[in-house]
Amino acid sequence: MKTIKINFVLNGEEIIDEVPVNITLLDYLRDYLRLTGTKEGCGKGECGACTVIMNGRSVNSCMVLIPQVDGKNVLTIEGLSKNGITKIQKAFVEEGAIQCGFCTPGMVMSTYYLLSKNPHPNEEEIREGLSGNLCRCTGYKKIIEAVKRVSGGKK
Amino acid sequence: MKEFEYLKPRDLNEALLFAREHGHRKRFLAGGTDLIVRLKDNLIREDYIIDIGEIEELRGIEKKNGEIHIGPITTHSEIIESEITKKYAPLLVEAVKTIGSPQIRNRGTIGGNICNASPAGDSIPALVVSEARFVVKSLNNERIIDIKDFFVGPGKTSLKQDEILYKIIIPEWKENEIGFFNKLGQRNAMSISIASVAVKLEREKDNKFKKAFVSFGAVSPVVNRATKCENLLTERELDSKDYIFEAANCALDEVNPITDVRATREYRREVSKYLLYESLLNLLGIGG
Repeated sequence: MKTIKINFVLNGEEIIDEVPVNITLLDYLRDYLRLTGTKEGCGKGECGACTVIMNGRSVNSCMVLIPQVDGKNVLTIEGLSKNGITKIQKAFVEEGAIQCGFCTPGMVMSTYYLLSKNPHPNEEEIREGLSGNLCRCTGYKKIIEAVKRVSGGKK
Repeated sequence: MKEFEYLKPRDLNEALLFAREHGHRKRFLAGGTDLIVRLKDNLIREDYIIDIGEIEELRGIEKKNGEIHIGPITTHSEIIESEITKKYAPLLVEAVKTIGSPQIRNRGTIGGNICNASPAGDSIPALVVSEARFVVKSLNNERIIDIKDFFVGPGKTSLKQDEILYKIIIPEWKENEIGFFNKLGQRNAMSISIASVAVKLEREKDNKFKKAFVSFGAVSPVVNRATKCENLLTERELDSKDYIFEAANCALDEVNPITDVRATREYRREVSKYLLYESLLNLLGIGG
């Protein structure tokens, strides 16, 4: 098995490791580090359950090869809520934007990214911002309400 | 996932050395939004993966002598956000916005969309109507390939094994030009086009145009210009719905789609026609 040395920052802490070249960032987070907040849905970039932030951009961690992570800065749902539940998560809870919860970490990360680029999105921009994340329970309405709530679009 | 040898060249020169050394046994990795899925599905024969995703010489957007130069590993998001492309390549921006999702656009690259040479690659019709040129490099050579000569079949380009796409060049958008990119997919985000169309019209006066460029995506083995439609669009003033319909109807002679899981051949032919018709009415402000 071909391996590679990687060195990157994950949730504010430096990671140095040697891993097989042919695994994804998602595999590494879940199977090597046991950070299971990031979910695997489709495994091909369709569903967004595996969304994390890499160098300030939202990415599907199932489509990032581990060597591509070398030298990068990665934020996962665990890092986001390191110091307790965030405003985004609070809004999801308050709006009841969760049913089974499987898509929620990805939704939260995509919301975090959207608001980092556009702090006060309108509904269309929210829908566009979450367009790479599928939810099979909620029908999206409450998720959108939650994003409106946290971005001040809802009284 | 398939086992492979991972190579990460330090610069373009080293990438070209690796490309020459490994020839048909190598694949370039840029953003990976397409390649990594195919590696997982064991659809990649090549044993060497050359990661060009951080070679700075291959990234960036510049305005130079009336043209826009884009490095192939520039991501879709970078193209959408750049002030240069927003102002001087608005049609390309419009097309690239429809690719994938925010996550995909943050990783996927324009060069990847081009070199995968999928007839459904959404940047391609916009590049075709922009008459894009590609600068390609190998260790000892540099040449320019016109977009009309670049694609030779579904998934196939005229790039040689030791060559790399180095720059995408399109002319600056001019004041008297208008255009659009429109596509039909199965959902708004993440959908592979069933059919798409890009149009660029160069205005002579009012709704009379001296040049017309039309290109359909996902409905032919190779994305080309639809010259019959183009000729009708410049022949006379575009002031009536009937005449525009006649021009759009030429799409039926121009497209040669396949039937696949997304749509049938017949449906794609009809959609091509109506995508062009409705988008033209919309562009020209003629009531529908």
